[in-house]
Amino acid sequence: MKQDLKPMAGKSYWRSLDQKADDPEFRKFVESEFPEGTFDLARGISRKKFLSLMGASMALAGLAGCRRPVEKIIPYAIAPEEIVPGVPRYFATTMPFGLNAFGLLVESHEGRPTKIEGNKEHPSSLGASNAFVQAEILNLYDPDRSKFVRHNGEQSSWPEFVVNWKNEREKYLKSKGEGLAVLSVEFASPTLARLRSEFLSAFPKAKWVTHAPVSDEMIYDGLKLAAGKYAHPVPALEKARVILTLDADFMKTGSNDIVNSRGFADSRRVKSENDTMSRLYAVESGFSLTGAMADHRLPLQSRLMSKFTAALALELRSRGVEIPGLKALTKKSTEGFDQKWLSALATDLITHRGYGLILAGPGQPPELHALVFALNDALGNIGRTIRYYEIEDAVLSSVPDLQDLVERMNSGAVSTLLLLGGNPVYDAPADLDFSRALQNVPNSIQVANHPDETSTRVNWHIPKAHFLEQWGDARALDGTASVIQPLIAPLFGAKSDVEVLSAFLSGEDRPGYDLVRETWSHILKQKDFDKRWQTVLHDGLLPDSAARVIQLKISANSLQKALSSLVIAEKEETELIFSPSPAVFDGRYANNGWLQENPHPITKLTWDNAAVIGTATARRMQVQNHDVIQVKTESASLQLPVWIVPGIAENTICIDLGYGRKFPGRIGGGLGRNAYALRTTASLGFATGVKISKTGRKYRLVSTQDHHGLDVEKLASDEIEKRLPVLIREATLEEYHEEPEFAKEMVEHPPLKSLWEDRKYDEGYQWGMTIDLNVCNGCNACTIACQSENNIPIVGKKEVGHGREMHWIRIDRYFSGEEENPEMVFQPIACAQCENAPCEQVCPVAATNHDAEGLNTMAYNRCIGTRYCANNCPYKVRRFNFFNFTKELPEIVQMAMNPDVTVRFRGVMEKCTFCVQRIHRSKLDAKNSHRQLRDGDIQTACEQTCPTDAIVFGDINDVNSRVSQIKKQDRDYALLGELNIKPRTTYQAKLRNPNPELT
Amino acid sequence: MNLIKPKKQPSPDATVFSGSAPLPEPLITGKQTFASITERISAIVEGKPPKGWMIAFSFSVSILLMLLGTIGYLADEGIGIWGLNNPVGWGWAIVNFVFWVGIGHAGTLISAVLHLFRQKWRTSINRFAEAMTLFAVICALVFPTIHVGRIWMLHYVFPIPNQMEMWPNFRSPLLWDVFAVSIYFAVSILFWFTGLIPDLATLRDRAKTRARKFIFGALALGWRGSNRHWQHYELAYLVLAGLATPLVLSVHSVVSTDFATSILPGWHTTIFPPYFVAGAIFSGFAMVMTLGIIAREVFGLKDFITLKHLDKMSKIMLVTGSMVGYSYATEFFIAWYGGNGYEMFAFINRAFGPYAWAYWTMISCNVIIPQLFWFKKIRSNVKILFVLSILVNVGMWFERFVIVVSSLSRDFLPSAWAYYSPTIFDIMTFIGTFGLFFTFFLLFLRFLPMVSMTEVKGVLPAADPHYKAPEEVKEND
Repeated sequence: MKQDLKPMAGKSYWRSLDQKADDPEFRKFVESEFPEGTFDLARGISRKKFLSLMGASMALAGLAGCRRPVEKIIPYAIAPEEIVPGVPRYFATTMPFGLNAFGLLVESHEGRPTKIEGNKEHPSSLGASNAFVQAEILNLYDPDRSKFVRHNGEQSSWPEFVVNWKNEREKYLKSKGEGLAVLSVEFASPTLARLRSEFLSAFPKAKWVTHAPVSDEMIYDGLKLAAGKYAHPVPALEKARVILTLDADFMKTGSNDIVNSRGFADSRRVKSENDTMSRLYAVESGFSLTGAMADHRLPLQSRLMSKFTAALALELRSRGVEIPGLKALTKKSTEGFDQKWLSALATDLITHRGYGLILAGPGQPPELHALVFALNDALGNIGRTIRYYEIEDAVLSSVPDLQDLVERMNSGAVSTLLLLGGNPVYDAPADLDFSRALQNVPNSIQVANHPDETSTRVNWHIPKAHFLEQWGDARALDGTASVIQPLIAPLFGAKSDVEVLSAFLSGEDRPGYDLVRETWSHILKQKDFDKRWQTVLHDGLLPDSAARVIQLKISANSLQKALSSLVIAEKEETELIFSPSPAVFDGRYANNGWLQENPHPITKLTWDNAAVIGTATARRMQVQNHDVIQVKTESASLQLPVWIVPGIAENTICIDLGYGRKFPGRIGGGLGRNAYALRTTASLGFATGVKISKTGRKYRLVSTQDHHGLDVEKLASDEIEKRLPVLIREATLEEYHEEPEFAKEMVEHPPLKSLWEDRKYDEGYQWGMTIDLNVCNGCNACTIACQSENNIPIVGKKEVGHGREMHWIRIDRYFSGEEENPEMVFQPIACAQCENAPCEQVCPVAATNHDAEGLNTMAYNRCIGTRYCANNCPYKVRRFNFFNFTKELPEIVQMAMNPDVTVRFRGVMEKCTFCVQRIHRSKLDAKNSHRQLRDGDIQTACEQTCPTDAIVFGDINDVNSRVSQIKKQDRDYALLGELNIKPRTTYQAKLRNPNPELT
Repeated sequence: MNLIKPKKQPSPDATVFSGSAPLPEPLITGKQTFASITERISAIVEGKPPKGWMIAFSFSVSILLMLLGTIGYLADEGIGIWGLNNPVGWGWAIVNFVFWVGIGHAGTLISAVLHLFRQKWRTSINRFAEAMTLFAVICALVFPTIHVGRIWMLHYVFPIPNQMEMWPNFRSPLLWDVFAVSIYFAVSILFWFTGLIPDLATLRDRAKTRARKFIFGALALGWRGSNRHWQHYELAYLVLAGLATPLVLSVHSVVSTDFATSILPGWHTTIFPPYFVAGAIFSGFAMVMTLGIIAREVFGLKDFITLKHLDKMSKIMLVTGSMVGYSYATEFFIAWYGGNGYEMFAFINRAFGPYAWAYWTMISCNVIIPQLFWFKKIRSNVKILFVLSILVNVGMWFERFVIVVSSLSRDFLPSAWAYYSPTIFDIMTFIGTFGLFFTFFLLFLRFLPMVSMTEVKGVLPAADPHYKAPEEVKEND
């Protein structure tokens, strides 16, 4: 079906590939597939039920099933002193994430955490967050979490474990830990690090191995190769003018995505035509958010990345940049790239010496990272646009260590193994066959959130506490230390890894609180400890605790040695890319419904992973979306459905990790396919020499855009091409400098006048919003934040397939340009709170009305669900509760609900309210303290969480508010403003900054 | 006047005159006298039902039960059992609503408008056409009732005084619908009942059982056929006809504002009110024709519903069908002439987009097929008329489908576009309303005179004060 695609001239837009081809076969498929799909029902009716229904309806009492569930409330017998019912409290805590940690403020209602937000003071979150952080609240209340200690599959208890281990421990103390091993995930935590070193000194012969399925291991190894030392790399993208990424998705799946997204956005924030912005070159095999934001994107297979970098290095050298150790590279071996592109890039990097930055992705080999370090060093970027921090209290993932451990396990040298977090049976490299190795360990102990793939194969399973219910501590990538303080007692009696490790070390059960305080008594010194401890807990971090920035010296010799083993790929090969999923990451969020239903930013797929391939590959293979293919590596094979995304390098297959979980989770059990089965120690980032073949079967994937493969015909694609430049207004920086008002001049329409005098809305607060398309990178954090704040239900794969997902803010994704290498744009769409709202006029029962502050409000109690408002909404942002989506919600998940927001019943329309509950709380607070609201007092959930600060909310009646200032900018435009609906949300046009040499 | 008996029976082969002006064809054929009309029509109501009726009735009732079951399931589960999705918030339910309301147009038009214009040929068909109207409106009312998300809160649409002083939104066309359709229903039922009174009196007079005597006696409201009664009756009938006439235009105009007042491309057009009214009359007449043909075949009423009636109805369908076709053309012209890109696309998309099959079904049935009515041969071929009348209603259903669904499925932002397909429950609900309709209709045929005896007698030549039997005319010559 993709055969008759032709490159298009100039800038034109289309939504997805399907609309670009008009193929009768595909249409037949669409016709045959979807009507069938829409006929099936969530629940079938049994004969008995049918009869009872018939009876009910005949008696005209068919409404008996519609009553709301009865809820019982239990009051406090004695009210706690500090809690005012209905008034939330905020606590600072920290979410550890690999080697990084995000400082958070968590909203707590009567002792139950309900919403997570970033902590402004914290260097890794900067007050913002990402989709994973937002979704953690649902993980806390996951009903499938491990609920009790298991011993050989039988229910046991924590004291039993401790007693049991105490006896065992004596034995190991005598043998100095012979046969004892710990396999932990990556962490950066003062207390864990302290316990680890105490453990290693108590058991000197014990092994401590660290493994994380998704890690920056090869980046650190590359640094070690080039400079002989491990250090945390922390880019300062806000200072960079020219950025080159090599398979590096620093905006979404990278380990420091919030800071990097903010930094990049800051480097591109344009207030007027006098401003300038950075330029991003992205060379990548798949299509990432970073690639989508790039000014120049080059699709290139991951296995050719080294070759490309070598070519760039030689190009830079030929222009006088001194790079040590390049002798190993020959010009000849690096040929085959677009010389114009390469030379323009080199020129740009050289002219911006000290303000450029090259970043390579974690999937690339250490040798490449060594070369990238050398390039950054030679261009004077190090210390300016990227800093290296000393590593403190952290353990780095190491695959060779894991290999060694598995060998020891296989040889029977390991008698007791503690698995501190992680799920190695599922996610360890497939060639290690961790599951088999585990059988040789007589005593294995696992600490994990869920009864997972590993749990059934260990002797002891201990439920792991969620970070919101444990005491702990962590360090951010730059070394800033903070404390993890619990907001709630462990829901299922789970134990934190600090407590488990301590018990493992000492044989005593000590509370986490004591352990963490003990560590911090060293960090904070003894003087005024309690006072300073309180301050740390209150602030959520220890100020000025960042690690030392270290000056790394490049070693020419070791670099040359590294470069001589740099693999310069020669022959054509198909490759397979493993990337962490933007939904479930490495698999840890598989049971999180918000993330599963969160559309993949690029493919817009939900509830599944797929073999994502480019158009050329699809054409060559003659496959279409939903076709199941077989992907075969040297060691294993996997069957999974195809999803075609234009712009993916030819002969590259991208598969997201983290799916295909086999555990009894009610959300994520069995969704998608497990890509770890294909991933070996030699192919952690990508596998080469992959064979693919068709199977002839189909599997229905579900996406939230292009729902039904509807946009196939030319008619639609032509129209979209015509329409989109007006919907998403875009120009190059140069065009913008020449024509600053370009966004406003794009639509011609008759004067927007009314037959009568319109309401002015010029008194009091008038709420409005701006969304800067130039910095929005489509990361989805806002969607999840909104879902968490506003109790938005998930609907499941089938209902998403019917087009009934409930997200109040969605991110539209469009392509433009040539099909082999298109540009991608994002546009977040939520209710724009039109002053002249089409939805309000048509509601027969006046359930949706305008308030005095310009909000388009919804009275859920009044709504009878005619759906007329949604029909008349030009943005299609209203969401209807087709079923009672919250009916079967387990009680514990209800604890994640925001009590300030109604949980909507079936048959009711819902939509974005500009977080009206936040507006009212802030207004009340301001009133109680006898003052006016200040700009920024109210942050909507989406604005609050946006890592790029693309969303700004405020009072448009106040000329000094940020939102008013932004609305005055020349790039400001009202989407569909020509309909005279007067939306309160306006957009700032997108800009790209292409290199003039390449246009 | 129906009490005056003719002196002589007209001869079987004589031409029957209505009044003094000769007509090319008689309105009522056969050797009908006042007595024979009473006998023929009352016999249907008084005798045992034919076997065909029993079969049809059991079939209709089972389909009605299916409807009730489906509605029960809908109330239990939610609107999600239908095929609706996010852009397409209205699907078959609203299509069916407009379809049934449209069908409900012909009855009042025939009774009221044609009465005012003194079209005497209406007398044979007005009774069952009015009944059809009532039942069609009942079917139509099912849909807005069950399509809301919270049926149990439906009373919010009525202006019921309440302690919150919360009124419905009078700016919403859906509310206008509530009033327009309920007023139409109320006036139609009054009009129908008023027309029935003399016939009910006839049945009362002929009643042999106590129950019949009591029921028809109560329903006849003490009608004795006195001159005074007739005077009041005719005046009341005229006033009701006058009241009903604007409603014929208003109901579907108001229904059309459900679409016309929105901002959705494809809905937002000023041509909708007249276009909807024309379409409604078109479909209503097609339904009357379908039912009339069935009635005349099954109950042997060929003398009452003659080819002449069918001919006249065909001509009305030709006119209204052409008006509908003209409206389609105008819509396209204005979409182009108006220069609004969204609207232009909405119409091109209708004709060539994913719903093109529905669009061309509509064009074939509504524009091309009525053109066959130009031919007298077709107008006088009952079998062909029967098929065509059904096709017209198929076309009219698709018209509403095209308007409602194709406009919604692709509006302003392409990211929100989606295809809509019905589920089995959409289909069952629609078919179920036919069960409801025919159950009512068959009960009507069984228990009430399906042809207005009073009015048919009024158009017999014998009812004319200047009537002379043909032989008398001959003698005078």
